[in-house]
Amino acid sequence: MTDPRRYYDEIEVGEEYESPGRTITETDIVLFAGLSGDYNVLHTDAEFMKTSIFGERIAHGLLGLAIQSGLFSRATGAYATLAFVGLRWKFKAPIKIGDTIRLRARVRTKRDIGKPDRGLVTVERTVVNQRGEVVQEGETDLLVERRSP
Amino acid sequence: MSPSHGMYFEDVEIGDEDLTPAMTLTEAHAALYRGLTGDAPDDPTAIPDLLPLCLSTGLGWRMARPPLVVLAFMGVEWAIHRPLRIGDTVHGRARAVVKRSMREAGVIIEDHEILDQRGDVVQGGRFTFLVAKRTPARPAASA
Repeated sequence: MTDPRRYYDEIEVGEEYESPGRTITETDIVLFAGLSGDYNVLHTDAEFMKTSIFGERIAHGLLGLAIQSGLFSRATGAYATLAFVGLRWKFKAPIKIGDTIRLRARVRTKRDIGKPDRGLVTVERTVVNQRGEVVQEGETDLLVERRSP
Repeated sequence: MSPSHGMYFEDVEIGDEDLTPAMTLTEAHAALYRGLTGDAPDDPTAIPDLLPLCLSTGLGWRMARPPLVVLAFMGVEWAIHRPLRIGDTVHGRARAVVKRSMREAGVIIEDHEILDQRGDVVQGGRFTFLVAKRTPARPAASA
């Protein structure tokens, strides 16, 4: 059986992917508050948030970041990832209950790190809502296996 | 209206270090995280890479001092130094490194680190928050 994962050698700079959409629900936010322990009123107090500039509860920024990571694996064939090395990320606009987000990603660079079995892939990522507004964006660095020579 | 409970921009001191209580990462954490995010792992005994980052703000909520009155989370830069496995126990270390006052609120940049049971830093980076002021300057009257 052939390995369906995508290796460093096969990934090309400039490749673009778009994920399916995902509607963010109140349940997602409540589960994330429970899992993370982050009970900030922004995410948990509907009455207080009516008086805020957002007008309602918003999703945790890190929930959006975590969900786009899941969307990435549905946007392209799985990379032969050895490690998630780092990220630089901006939260541009709120994600509200009922919003549908999707991920647009593009391979920005591939870098040889002097190891025969792996290389560094930097992916540019944009999370957009149902109106096409950018809600989050950034870059992620992944160590990806080379296909054995 | 502001929530009365919390650390406002004026209350934050640069350089003060906070150590959070610890948490043991279990199979339940990994399963809940994967179910919620749809992030599929290669190795089921590994802790998902972004889970410790997601716990880092919540760990701070278990401390005696009140949490920051965050108006918006603006950004994060994060590095993952080594993987964690189910059964590892992590805690957080955080300190404010930059305070930038603006008219109605202020920007606070914090260094955050996640340490394992051996005291090794396994992940870390910088969070940028927009934080409420206790006494915001009055906006200029409109003409």
